[in-house]
Amino acid sequence: MSTDTEFHIHHDSAEKVGRRERLGVRLLIVADGSFVFGMIFSWFYLRNLNENNAWLPKGVHTFTTASGYTAAIGLIIAALAHRAGEMNHGLRRVSSIVVFLALLVGAVYQWHQMAHMPFIAHDDNGRPFYNGAYASNWVLVAGANMFHYLLGAFVALGLVIRGYRTKLDPVLEEWRQRTAGSWFTWIAISGILCAIAASFK
Amino acid sequence: MTTLSHAPTSTRPVPNPKRSLITRLNMGTGIIVGAIFCWGTYYAMRAGRDMTDTHNVNKVLLSSMLMWSFGFLVGIGALIGPFRWLIGKDLTAEEQLYLAGDGQGIKRYFKYCTDHKVVGIQYLVGVMTMLGVGGTMAMMIRTNLATPGSHLVTPNVYNSLVGLHGITMIIAMIIVATGPFGNYIMPIMIGARDMAFPRLNALSWWVLFTAIPVLCSAWFLGGIPTGWTAYAPLSDQAGPGMNAFLATIIIFALSTAVAGMNITTTVIAMRAKGMKWNRVPIFVVGATISVALAIPAFPTFMLAMIQTGMDRTIATGFYDANVGGSGWLYANLFWIMGHPEVYVILIPGVAALMEIAPVFVRKPLFSYNAAIAGFAGIAGLSVLVWAHHMYMSGWMPSLNGPFMITTEFISVPTGLLFLVLVGTLWRGRPWMKLPMLSVYAFLWNFLIGGVTGVYLSDVPADNYLHGSMFVTAHFHYTLMGAAFTGAMAGLVYWFPKMTGRMLNERAGYIAFWLIQIGFNVLFLGMFMAGAQGQPRRVADYAFVYEHSNMISTAGAYTVGIGMITLLWAVVHSWRNGKIAPMNPWGAKTLEWTVPYPVPLENFDVEPIITSDPYGYGKAAN
Repeated sequence: MSTDTEFHIHHDSAEKVGRRERLGVRLLIVADGSFVFGMIFSWFYLRNLNENNAWLPKGVHTFTTASGYTAAIGLIIAALAHRAGEMNHGLRRVSSIVVFLALLVGAVYQWHQMAHMPFIAHDDNGRPFYNGAYASNWVLVAGANMFHYLLGAFVALGLVIRGYRTKLDPVLEEWRQRTAGSWFTWIAISGILCAIAASFK
Repeated sequence: MTTLSHAPTSTRPVPNPKRSLITRLNMGTGIIVGAIFCWGTYYAMRAGRDMTDTHNVNKVLLSSMLMWSFGFLVGIGALIGPFRWLIGKDLTAEEQLYLAGDGQGIKRYFKYCTDHKVVGIQYLVGVMTMLGVGGTMAMMIRTNLATPGSHLVTPNVYNSLVGLHGITMIIAMIIVATGPFGNYIMPIMIGARDMAFPRLNALSWWVLFTAIPVLCSAWFLGGIPTGWTAYAPLSDQAGPGMNAFLATIIIFALSTAVAGMNITTTVIAMRAKGMKWNRVPIFVVGATISVALAIPAFPTFMLAMIQTGMDRTIATGFYDANVGGSGWLYANLFWIMGHPEVYVILIPGVAALMEIAPVFVRKPLFSYNAAIAGFAGIAGLSVLVWAHHMYMSGWMPSLNGPFMITTEFISVPTGLLFLVLVGTLWRGRPWMKLPMLSVYAFLWNFLIGGVTGVYLSDVPADNYLHGSMFVTAHFHYTLMGAAFTGAMAGLVYWFPKMTGRMLNERAGYIAFWLIQIGFNVLFLGMFMAGAQGQPRRVADYAFVYEHSNMISTAGAYTVGIGMITLLWAVVHSWRNGKIAPMNPWGAKTLEWTVPYPVPLENFDVEPIITSDPYGYGKAAN
């Protein structure tokens, strides 16, 4: 997403630049994927280890099994809406607005969820802490979702605005739509994987 | 190797930058805005918080450090491109040329310059600075260990020295070859006009730059008492200096991901016409495999640091057994990155030597395919060996056997690298110039580093040697003896192309011999101390280890004098050295077909590759 559409310093065709950008984004997805799989590893590792029976200490409230999935709904809607826009160009402007709004609303919901976590306890001095490894992992997963929402919303807003610009190279913009599609698909998959992990209490 | 096509030269417009914001931003504005963000965050977050609570202290410090980095990027103009993309007003041709530093002279080195050659030089200077700082700390460590009971520094300061030396050198070694040569030389070697993502290229350097003051700040915040491995729960409990370590790694991991993605994309998508995969220079293959390995490896390190940061700032318990955490989780995440990281460091250095050997023996590289199989085999196996660092930790003893086998198996692809180099030298008539000496030094050093690694991979032997100076000597033989030697050869070899001048040969020879002899004295002495049982990371030791430590310290000073000589040679030659011809070594790769200074877009006409890069002694070439 970092090269000019009117002039390119390498003098390469828009087709070449577009392919290159998609490859770059896919490699970044590999890096992000490694991070997400690390989080999932942490979840199951600490859950199965259950050190000092403190994965879920007695009396600690948890989220419902559905909470992980509801947190991922915005990501899933965004991916589907973007895909719809790719398949039907007539819907593109509407779909890009839907993608942006889904990610924005999802981010607000994720923020709300993080602000109302049921497992925060207080020590003898009244200082808050996350009680149990389940709680620690939940806040990490929620944070990663939040990062995906915000970065996705940035990309989606860019696509909305660029959809109204007329001076841009249509070939390169088409590639950027596909490239953004790779990212939206990945963050939806990531949200689902995290939700599946989070359903194991 | 090359013929030149008749493709038309570029028709780029003449840069005529207006006095817009983009022309006013530079390193100075970056530092000012970064400082404002940092101090602004610090004072804003302090207000109304109980600063006797260590979680609050960590929260304020960590946030301030990360905001410094973000502020710097805002101040230097790194975010102008993404912002302009967001609003649909992409950078114009003039602005892009301005960012590429066209006609800006030395000023471009202090700006957000997208020219890959400028970024390569920035990396080179950065690496040399880091090696200087890390090396100075190494000298302090060795001085403290020269005699038992020396007490030059307190145990706490010693711990910090060891940790800061470790992480500074690890970062420096990760970028020592792929930073300068991967950015400056590699795009030219493959016939590209620039990197695939020039702005991200500049970003990878300047993001890394912001980590340097953050890491230095650890010194003023009580240091990092954990060593560079930052094992939990020590890192959870460590003082405020630990925040600097966490922020450094998070920033560095971002830089590495961006750089890795950029280099990989460039090599896959921007090779010149005719450069099939079996015609790609071996240095390019090695650097690409190295950074491609880093792309999935480093995020787990970043994750471990984020988890540690969360434990320290918002009281989660990833590594606190009281609330269900485990230090083993950290050890796993750390070493899943940690062992591939060794090969991220090693492979480009070896690849540089493989690039150099055919040039100075005037023979084709022996078994190009075996070299690639060696690199790929090492990269593949490197993700299956991490738990050999945890044999003695008590984690999954039943897996010690399998991890021992995978670790010992890695010596097979490593052996291929030896085979390729020895096969290239076999019956050749070496032109014994300075870069060539490093090939022999590598074979000696890496043989010792590799064989001692086999001992350490063996569970019963590791039971005795684990945590001793033997381990320290082993990994220095691998990282410094092999990877640094390769990078040093690369510096001498590509110095004419990067600076337009020849490196002072006499000073270079003196530096080479001082470094290599000193290095072997230093670390063979350390092997002795380790085999006798001296533990590492301890500020003092029993009298029984006195002689081996004295030998090591004498070696360290010799290395130090060699490094200063090398630095002098580089600086002096850069300013006053003999003007280099276009192709002083008579090499066949593309970088030697362009003049110095290398034009902005490298090639006036697009090169077309018609043969392999190592066709020495073939009539067709």
